[in-house]
Amino acid sequence: MRAAISDPANRDPAKAPMQPMLRARDLTLRYPGASKPALAGLSLSVEQGEIFGLLGPNGAGKSTAIGVMCTLLTADTGEVEICALNLRTQKNKVRPLIGLVPQDIALYPSLSVRENLSYFGTLYGLKGNDLRQRVDECLVMTGLEQHAWRRVQTCSGGIKRRANLAAGIVHRPELLFLDEPTVGIDAQSRHLILSNLQELQRAGMTMIYTTHYMEEAQQLCARIAIMDQGQVIAQGEPEILMAAQGCSDLQELFLHLTGRSLRD
Amino acid sequence: MLKLLATFKKDLLLLWRDRVGLLVLFLMPLVLVLVVSLVQNNVLQATGQSRIEVLFVDEDQGELGWQVLEVMEASPGLQLLTSHAGNILSAETAQALVASGTYQFAIVLPSGISAQFERDMRRQVGALFGFGSVPADSVAVEAQIQLLFDPAVQGVFRTAVTSSLQYALLGLETAQKGKLLQQALSTQNFGGAHSPDAASEQAPTHLLRTEAKAAGDPARALRPDAVQQNIPAWALFGMFFIAVPLAGALLRERQEGTLRRLLILPVPYRVLLAGKLSAYVSVCLLQFGLMLLAGRYVLPWFGTPVLEVGAHPLAVAVLVFCAALAACGYGLMLGTLARSYEQASMFGAVSVVIGAALGGVMVPVYMMPEAMQVLSSISPLAWGLNGFVELFVRGGGLRDIGGNIAALLGFFGVTALIALGAFKYHSRHGG
Repeated sequence: MRAAISDPANRDPAKAPMQPMLRARDLTLRYPGASKPALAGLSLSVEQGEIFGLLGPNGAGKSTAIGVMCTLLTADTGEVEICALNLRTQKNKVRPLIGLVPQDIALYPSLSVRENLSYFGTLYGLKGNDLRQRVDECLVMTGLEQHAWRRVQTCSGGIKRRANLAAGIVHRPELLFLDEPTVGIDAQSRHLILSNLQELQRAGMTMIYTTHYMEEAQQLCARIAIMDQGQVIAQGEPEILMAAQGCSDLQELFLHLTGRSLRD
Repeated sequence: MLKLLATFKKDLLLLWRDRVGLLVLFLMPLVLVLVVSLVQNNVLQATGQSRIEVLFVDEDQGELGWQVLEVMEASPGLQLLTSHAGNILSAETAQALVASGTYQFAIVLPSGISAQFERDMRRQVGALFGFGSVPADSVAVEAQIQLLFDPAVQGVFRTAVTSSLQYALLGLETAQKGKLLQQALSTQNFGGAHSPDAASEQAPTHLLRTEAKAAGDPARALRPDAVQQNIPAWALFGMFFIAVPLAGALLRERQEGTLRRLLILPVPYRVLLAGKLSAYVSVCLLQFGLMLLAGRYVLPWFGTPVLEVGAHPLAVAVLVFCAALAACGYGLMLGTLARSYEQASMFGAVSVVIGAALGGVMVPVYMMPEAMQVLSSISPLAWGLNGFVELFVRGGGLRDIGGNIAALLGFFGVTALIALGAFKYHSRHGG
């Protein structure tokens, strides 16, 4: 199941990080005109090197939380620290450290996969051989070397998703935000993406991962947080949370905590 | 700088890959220039309902002036003005007003023309019908009435006013001849010198001749024809259409999620916008350059005159650059304010057509109703077009288009600020 993933609990204490990679405290955010806040006091802590699952039903506030933590949105109140840098005051120092794999295929459709990666790499300050090498590494890692010169618009869904991941990691971020990165792809591409993420984790990358696929979260994440109505309603290791609620799997736990009523 | 260049290259590549869009962007203004120049070069068409204001200077103060004024006023398309800002017009003031483009035409009757006309008329009629002995060469003395025109006035309108004046003068001459002939017949004073042969040898000559000339410095003014005026006008029109693909590119980035990726980059968004702007401004410059080349080398194949760009290429380059900035600024604003590509493309295209119509691209501003002439001053296309007319038709230089450049840069500044403001608003509110 999760054999490939290093569990923070089993790590060598000598190598255990002193500082969490990300710490969010009491985040609130209300969109203009909205009756309810999108975030209502969200607090999280993500350890260095772990894959942290952020789960929740539609409208729970996951994407807003990711938006705030990756500097896209500014919270009304509360604080976020990444690598001990405050997001409000040190945004420019935080940005080179983070990467984002959005839910949408955030690539230029009429550029090739390589051109997209090169463009985003350049914007992160890579150039010359470094850039070429990083782009090549990302292409190999995501199995896209054969498709490097294909325009994104002509690629299949799976290739687009893998290219989307490659564009998020081309600059080797310390912390990678993944917003449902496996939506709408076949089992083979999903398997490759999940393997890529495990490989990145082994290389020391920290990830915050949102998904509606509970089996993915159970397979990948050492710890999870379940969100509802802008708040974290449960946080910890999946096994411990499931045991505490008497649930046999993550799906059951999720439904137990968030209810069965439709959200949209 | 590397990041700006990367964005510049990326946006050029995106434009290059959209071959159909690019073709439309370059081909559309070329077709417009071709069709409109050919049509206006060859067809003298009706000039519409609006009355053309013509300055009228009567330095003669004789009977002829009143007669000309009366006949010209009766023309449906003309309105004669004898004063400006509360002062009776002098020939110098009228010339200055026309040269500056404030008015498009002035008619100047020189001092002594009434007496000369009367004298020459009696001589000519006398010579024809034998009531006096007048040497043949003396009847050819011609009074010169000046018709001054703004070099920027399109040929069709110049022809219309010139024809109206000549028609009026011919009418006056004919009436005067008829009057004299009636007097002669009533007194039966034919004299002995008359013979049918002599009359046929001395065919009547028009005594009231007009001299049409461009107001302003004749050394500076260029040839005022359809090509000189239409090419910059329609090229400017085509250039402003860049707003649609630029707005579309911004909206696609927003809708397809690329913007989210761009916004978490350690690069200020203004650098990314500057890169994008550079790419689109380059396309505008290329587009305008091709239009000028077409005017110089392609249109003459179809029988039009060759485009002359004046003696100030630097001024032309500066004006084209400022117009390109204004067009792209408008695209940025559109791309950040619109909520969808459909909204941007529809509003963008229609607003550019409206701007062009108001700006005098389709119908000269002086032919518009007064209210529309006032509205015209808010169109950036009018600022650009007036600048090009100054350079291409009046032969002006950089100093003459300072106001146009300032207005275009101001427009760019305002639209870019609105775009940045709207962008920040969307960013803050997750839009």
